[in-house]
Amino acid sequence: MEFLEQLPALFSDFANPKKRIFFGYLALSVLIALGWLTLVRKTSIAEALRRIFDRRVFFSGSAIADYKIFVINRIFTFFISPMLLSQVAIATGIYFFLHSLDFLNPAAFTGVNQATVVVLFTLTLFLFDDFSKYLVHRWMHRFPVLWALHRVHHSATELTPVTVYRVHPLEGVLYTLRGVVVQGVTIPTFYYLFGSAVSLYTVVGVNVLVFIFHVSGSNLRHTHISISYWPWLEHLLISPAQHQLHHSVAERHFDKNFGAALAIWDWMFHSLHLSSGEGELVFGLDASEGSSASSLKTLYLQPFHDIFRILRRRVRGFYGLAQRLMTRV
Amino acid sequence: MKSLKLTTCLVATMMFAGTAYAVETYGPFPVTVLGYDGEKENSVSYSGQIARHVLHDSLKKLAGKGNGGANAAELEAQMLSYFNGSETDLPIIAPASKDGVPVKQTMLNEISAGKNIAGKFYDGSMPAWPGEMTGKEVILHMISHAAKADGGYDAVNGYDYAQLISKFTMGAMPYSQAVDNYLDEKLGEGVKPNGQAYKTGAYYTGKEHVWDEAFGYFGAASHSMRLSAEDNYNVAKLRDLGSADLNGDGVIDLKTEYVFGPAYYAAGADKSGKTAYMETMMGAFIEGRALITGANGQNLTDQERAKLQSHAKTIADNWELVLAEATFKYAGSVYKDISAITAASSEEEQAKAFRKYVKHWGELKGFAMAMQSGKNDLGKTAVHLNRLIGFGPVTLDGTFVSGLDADGNFVKERKMSWNSYQLHMLRVQELLAKNFAIEARANDATAELAGLLESLSGDGGAETD
Repeated sequence: MEFLEQLPALFSDFANPKKRIFFGYLALSVLIALGWLTLVRKTSIAEALRRIFDRRVFFSGSAIADYKIFVINRIFTFFISPMLLSQVAIATGIYFFLHSLDFLNPAAFTGVNQATVVVLFTLTLFLFDDFSKYLVHRWMHRFPVLWALHRVHHSATELTPVTVYRVHPLEGVLYTLRGVVVQGVTIPTFYYLFGSAVSLYTVVGVNVLVFIFHVSGSNLRHTHISISYWPWLEHLLISPAQHQLHHSVAERHFDKNFGAALAIWDWMFHSLHLSSGEGELVFGLDASEGSSASSLKTLYLQPFHDIFRILRRRVRGFYGLAQRLMTRV
Repeated sequence: MKSLKLTTCLVATMMFAGTAYAVETYGPFPVTVLGYDGEKENSVSYSGQIARHVLHDSLKKLAGKGNGGANAAELEAQMLSYFNGSETDLPIIAPASKDGVPVKQTMLNEISAGKNIAGKFYDGSMPAWPGEMTGKEVILHMISHAAKADGGYDAVNGYDYAQLISKFTMGAMPYSQAVDNYLDEKLGEGVKPNGQAYKTGAYYTGKEHVWDEAFGYFGAASHSMRLSAEDNYNVAKLRDLGSADLNGDGVIDLKTEYVFGPAYYAAGADKSGKTAYMETMMGAFIEGRALITGANGQNLTDQERAKLQSHAKTIADNWELVLAEATFKYAGSVYKDISAITAASSEEEQAKAFRKYVKHWGELKGFAMAMQSGKNDLGKTAVHLNRLIGFGPVTLDGTFVSGLDADGNFVKERKMSWNSYQLHMLRVQELLAKNFAIEARANDATAELAGLLESLSGDGGAETD
């Protein structure tokens, strides 16, 4: 019975507009996909619906693993809550620290009108948040220890909107920490400078820019519906097709398009790859990665094994170097 | 038979009504002294404490009457007559009648004769003030400087003497006396026993009067329990005759119907809706008094004494919280005032903001000192509190009082930036919130920040692409 009582909480993200898989965003994504397939790709409505709700995708081993991970990872939210407490500590610490900058008085810009402050804050928070997502995502691919974790997400051979939850719990912790740091820094800084005028421009309680990202089909990036933007726009915003390309097994697509909403970071740091001219993509990992699309045991435990192996190798390497140095001396 | 039943019923109703009345107000309580044959029917008596509150309120008023030196000697003598008490009757300077809100008494002896503040003033160590003085020496030092100041305001050193004297006294007299004397050792076995009259011929027992005196120091109206926090607050401000005038005689009787300092600050915190200090403390006072009355002039049993002491602990603990809440609130005011000073666009505006800041600082400092005048040794917390607040506020040239010279004059040999001092205020609030279970937390300088963080939490920041 107790388990049944917990069920609504388990699926609360579908009813929460702050989350990408909010049912409203999912419904809009279906409409966008339908529009794209019928109007741009000129397929019939029936064919379009068949492709959007493709059974081979949604009932694939990979997708079923997504669903299981979605449920199992809820347990790990218990570990996330204490970190939100640390956000208050970080923010208060930074707020206190700012007082030590004698050239900058608290509420030095209280004269600025509220609308300007709100726009500035909304924009800054969005940009900082999006950039930090790009950076952390890049690191997840760059460093072997982090890649051992992030590989779980990339092991998906079929993409569904739930794939956004296909994340190793330790990676979830890192991503939460990222959010904690971004908000923990931005909020006290703005509050220090602008005082109580600081607030976010929100729609249904969400940063308006994040809301735009979601209503414009953020869920489609984890689907087979390959929606491309004009090349100029793909320099600014990551299209669903660009993100799908990020999941491709083809070597030329490796380490491309790390961006979340904005493509400008990829553009600036030379990891941008436009979607035009790409044929049918195959998602997942190279066989050499030794991962699995559907085995939960592999998905949850292999990262620990790999991280242990990497660290052991590092320690041995360091030990060997020390020994060589010692013999020389 | 029928009439007997009716009589029983009537008596029961009256007793029940009497009980209900007693639960809501502090008194009247019957005389229980064994063998008392006088005419008194109500054993409650705390007029001496009310007289001391009046002396304090009047002293505060006088602290703002200086004209910059010309009347210093005369004013100091007048202030000392209220502090030390006087052979002759003294006019009540405050609380005094306002338009539409008349106060019954105008002379001190109408309340109680021969009372003073000095004899009941905390005289232990007071390191919060420069000069290594005792509590009583500090207040005399303040009085002497207040007399020389212009309107009690010392712009150079940043002191508002009316506030300093008043808030410090609120701790050093009523709080100290109640929690460190009447609610402490005087509740002990064999001290002022309940089996005897307080003194020969008195109509109250030892313990009854000890408890009444503690209640008198709290300074609530006898019916404060019935009033909302807002009403109690307005009674203290002499804005609400209706709420104050319990007996409906058209005047406020300071002896039972007025709300003095300590109780006023309990109500002030309760206005937040987050605390119920007044209700908790009044409840404990009334239940404690009912318990003593219930002993019917016999000595208290160990069990009764233990119960009484638990009520006393409730009162003392909450009283300390009330003082901590006030200190917290004024640290927040000082924080805001500094922002106003630094943002001021003209000298005139800045001087105005500075005046307000000095007033709030006086309240902050006074309450911080009040907290250190009670029974509890605050130890490290007090040391940190004193260091953060300093001997004086940062003034317009960045300096602040760092000590006294050989003549007892203030020396300002240290400097601090406005920002650093604001940080000190944040730390004061942090320190108080950490060490005391305060809930009202008025003027919380970081509450808005915490609110902003809260409103933005759970925004899907953990989503992975």
